[in-house]
Amino acid sequence: MDNNFLVIENISKSFGDNKVLENINLNISKSEFFGLLGSSGSGKTTLLRILGGFEKPDTGRVILDGTDITNLEPFERPLNYMFQSYALFPHLNVFNNLAFGIKENFTQKEIEINVRNIAELLSIEHLLNRRIKQLSGGEQQRVALGRCLIKKPKLLLLDEPLAALDKKLRSKTQLELTTLQKKLKITFVFVTHDQEEAMSLSDRMAIMKNGLILECSSPEEIYENPKSLYTANFIGIANIIEIYKKDENFYSDDLGINFKLNKELKNTKTNILLRPEKIKIQSINNLKTSSFNSFSGEILEKSYLGSFTRYEIKIKNMIISVLDQNFNSNSNYNFPKGEKVICSWESESIKVLED
Amino acid sequence: MKNKLFEKYFVFSPYFWLVLFFFIPLAIIFKISISVSEWGMPPYQDIFLFDNGFKINTTFENYVYIFSDYYYIGSFVNSLILALISTFFCLLIGFPLAFYIATSNIRLRNILLVLVVIPFWSSFLLRVYAWKIILQNNGILNVILLNLGITSEPLQLLYNQYAVIMGIVYTYLPLMILPLYGYLNKFDLNLIEASKDLGLNRIKTFFKVILPLSVPGIVAGSLLVFIPVVGEFIIPEMLGGSDRLYYGKILWEEFFVNRNWPGASALAFSGIIILVLPIVIFQILYSRWSQKNEI
Repeated sequence: MDNNFLVIENISKSFGDNKVLENINLNISKSEFFGLLGSSGSGKTTLLRILGGFEKPDTGRVILDGTDITNLEPFERPLNYMFQSYALFPHLNVFNNLAFGIKENFTQKEIEINVRNIAELLSIEHLLNRRIKQLSGGEQQRVALGRCLIKKPKLLLLDEPLAALDKKLRSKTQLELTTLQKKLKITFVFVTHDQEEAMSLSDRMAIMKNGLILECSSPEEIYENPKSLYTANFIGIANIIEIYKKDENFYSDDLGINFKLNKELKNTKTNILLRPEKIKIQSINNLKTSSFNSFSGEILEKSYLGSFTRYEIKIKNMIISVLDQNFNSNSNYNFPKGEKVICSWESESIKVLED
Repeated sequence: MKNKLFEKYFVFSPYFWLVLFFFIPLAIIFKISISVSEWGMPPYQDIFLFDNGFKINTTFENYVYIFSDYYYIGSFVNSLILALISTFFCLLIGFPLAFYIATSNIRLRNILLVLVVIPFWSSFLLRVYAWKIILQNNGILNVILLNLGITSEPLQLLYNQYAVIMGIVYTYLPLMILPLYGYLNKFDLNLIEASKDLGLNRIKTFFKVILPLSVPGIVAGSLLVFIPVVGEFIIPEMLGGSDRLYYGKILWEEFFVNRNWPGASALAFSGIIILVLPIVIFQILYSRWSQKNEI
């Protein structure tokens, strides 16, 4: 696969004294579904707008399919941008919104055919004569998508593509969007603040914070092996435990237990990550507490989530989250509040956070 | 109960205003326009006579008089042309300004808006008079032109229709800019970016997106300029010459110089009907159109 389809090179951008992007470097492959994830103010939208040509970077280059597009106007770029608000033209109906970008270069007949095809692809054939205000949020999203895809762009940029949809529609559209992207093989780069959305859509994703890219990898890699404390906390639920070297082992003051690590550590003091679903929870009667990789505690809170039950377990000075899969259909299987339990985990489940 | 009464009064107060200051004066003008003129004070006869029983004393001769003389119709046509040209130039200058103000950052926007409104703080008459000083034969503009050697003798800049158009465009420009700004202020700038993203350059984006979506603002601003300019009296009087006669001036002369109140009233009333009727029809058609197009 061509790893250099979209190259973002040393991009920096400031608005006045406010540094929004600092030396961003990214390589995105052809046909990749790439996510930019960050909280508001992380610079992710500015980066997307630089790719779209709506902002000029202070330094750096953007190279798309071998061509430097840094100084091209938006209307000269072989890419399209889907706005968070969709930015559909209220004075035109759906047909003319879809045809807006191709009216120049095609005959009336070709326009007709192209619009029909794209409408069929997105199942909006029945909406062509509607006005924009008569459409639901989901329908508007499809029209906005269609208006871009009809131009057969090399690259599609999506700003919070699902943010304006309600929750149920969102998960359905998520699936459709990935299917569509795999079918069309167009490179998608999207921006989101929603970690679930980023994880489910992206082939690879970049975590952004304060104008920097903290990590860039597959969702699995970022979830399982985050490098930084920020990423670990940002993606999913995280139990972060501070440990330090004590004799041959590592000790946590907060939990009052020893940790056995598979890995040698550079520092004598560090943070480790323990994901809540990696922790096994057992009744205290079944087992004696081992001095390594386990602790006993009391269930403080419990929330039943259907496929999982989430427990908040208090041990010494800390509250640890545990997700326990509900294997058993017997509702009595769950541990009640206030019960003493033993939690344990495999040594491999402990991830050392570098910073 | 008291509150309800107050609410009713509150809701209907604009109508009281309209009746008191628009419909009653209009009715009075109409009444005078169908009166028989005579020498006296007031210079017309009553329309209801009670001398030998009740008698209605009206005439349409004043209207016949107005419409049979091209002097009156011609001046009205001149005023319509003047209003059209002035509105066009106000739009040409006002639209880019309003768009620039609406899209600039909040601090600059407030400064620019104040600059637009500032001329209103000084007297309208003074501002027009200032133009007289600038444009007269030994005025600033002619002095500059002479000293730069562009002309060898002073140009006749004042007392012609061009001076009138310039004066009107200058005075009425804020009335075009403010409603346009009010409308463009709500304009979703993403639409412009979307249009560019879909391959349209700036000029095409203007004609395909910005202009069609600005129609309501353009209509509002244009009407606000066009209607008062048709009856404008002071600017043609001060800056204009004898090359063109305008409706406002003829009306004034008919009333104050000729003391033909019924004739002047007929002229005024005809002017209102000719001007207002098409605009009302236009507004009805336009509101239907904009409802259909949901702009």
